[in-house]
Amino acid sequence: MLSALDRRHTVAPPGYSRWLIPPAALAIHLCIGQVYATSVYKNSLIAHFDTSQTAIGVIFSIAIVMLGLSAAVAGTWVEANGPRKAMFVSACFWAAGFLVGSLGIATRQLWLLYLGYGLLGGIGLGIGYISPVSTLIKWFPDRPGLATGLAIMGFGGGAMVASPLSRQLLSFYDSGYDPSNAGSTASGAALVWLFVTLGVGYFLIMMFGVFNVRVPAPQWRPAGFDPAKVAAKPLVTTANVSAANAVKTRSFWLLWVVLFCNVTAGIGILEQASPMIQDFFRDGGVSSVSVAAAGGFVGLLSLFNMAGRFVWSSTSDVIGRRPIYLLYLGVGMVLYTLLAVVGHAATALFVLLACVILSFYGGGFATVPAYLRDLFGTFQVGAIHGRLLTAWSAAGVAGPLIVNGFLDAQGEPGTLTAAAYRPALFTMVGVLAVGFVANLLVRPVPERFHERADPDAGPDQDAQAVAERSGTR
Amino acid sequence: MNEVGGHGQRARLWISWLVVSVLLGYGVAQTVITAAKLFTS
Repeated sequence: MLSALDRRHTVAPPGYSRWLIPPAALAIHLCIGQVYATSVYKNSLIAHFDTSQTAIGVIFSIAIVMLGLSAAVAGTWVEANGPRKAMFVSACFWAAGFLVGSLGIATRQLWLLYLGYGLLGGIGLGIGYISPVSTLIKWFPDRPGLATGLAIMGFGGGAMVASPLSRQLLSFYDSGYDPSNAGSTASGAALVWLFVTLGVGYFLIMMFGVFNVRVPAPQWRPAGFDPAKVAAKPLVTTANVSAANAVKTRSFWLLWVVLFCNVTAGIGILEQASPMIQDFFRDGGVSSVSVAAAGGFVGLLSLFNMAGRFVWSSTSDVIGRRPIYLLYLGVGMVLYTLLAVVGHAATALFVLLACVILSFYGGGFATVPAYLRDLFGTFQVGAIHGRLLTAWSAAGVAGPLIVNGFLDAQGEPGTLTAAAYRPALFTMVGVLAVGFVANLLVRPVPERFHERADPDAGPDQDAQAVAERSGTR
Repeated sequence: MNEVGGHGQRARLWISWLVVSVLLGYGVAQTVITAAKLFTS
């Protein structure tokens, strides 16, 4: 039955609209973006299992580590087998993660939650994240930044959907649960039904993507598209580089550093956003920013994080990939410096600076597949993207470590002021400077890494070549 | 490979974009309500 999901059975018929592909990709990313909404039921899980914050936090950490690992390891398999099979496998793992997790909650076996949501769900996350990327780039050779920006915007939007939905579902399943009260926790039965509902619901929505996704026919080009015009831009190649060769190039590792630095800086603020705005406006031990207003600030950051993915990535199609990263990193350095020096002067100024910084954070994620396409071609861009995402996993550890490390040395939570954040913010300026220099050093990939030229090879032949080499057909 | 029917494809396009717009719209609306507390609290 799985052969119906093979790449060769998903080649688009003539006249198939390429605008069906972005919603297919969004259907996947909107679902897996739920991983950033786990804090909604964290306290309920702690109360249900009668355990520590760390023991529950590990579930999220396992999922993110598995995301990076599975994207890196399964990237070539995704390229060879096509987006439909990859999306289907991702949906199975993601839904199974919720269902096994619900079994763990029902039986009070925490290890089943680690195995389910963490391990199985994390594999679904990694495969799902990269599954539509190379297909979108092949359908939109004229606007790869816009296409991948749309999909990866969905990952940011997924948390915005899952957070309120989870709160409303928990209230529905447990009438005693009050989502507006931070101390209120939902019952174990409500958590079980939440996980079952999310697992089944997400599986159905992801099937929508599986049903609609197609790969373009060999030699297909959008009307009026001239590849020569795209290739004439700096750093854009018409050659192709395999994933195995890409990791041997200097440019791949420079781009790894660029992504690592951009994500490290952004994640440092994102992770600390709510206490940070309260601390910046603390006078005489009391903050002028309420807990509810701080929650509103986090919501605003989510909106800018999501919008930045689409807006900046689309802009990169016009101004180029290297210039847009110079903007993210260079202007980011100025904004971080302003945040450290004058951020405490007015709430509006603080919010404005943080929102623009977070839009650059989202933009960095969304633009990187198009940057990879420019440097390494479309041949195995999904697999190369998967390997590059290990920078995300590493930054997920480094960003919070830097911020929390400095803040721990400054005093107790709830007593900090704007001055306590300066060492961490200036460190982030340094991190961004490293990324800025790495981006300047990116060069076209030397010819010795290029694949043998095949004038008849179209997008589908690329995939067949991958399949033959990897023996996965 | 078969040609794709115009009406069928148009309906599919509408439904596809509608589904993701409803989902995304729900998330954005809920987040805007939360974000508004920054200016009202």
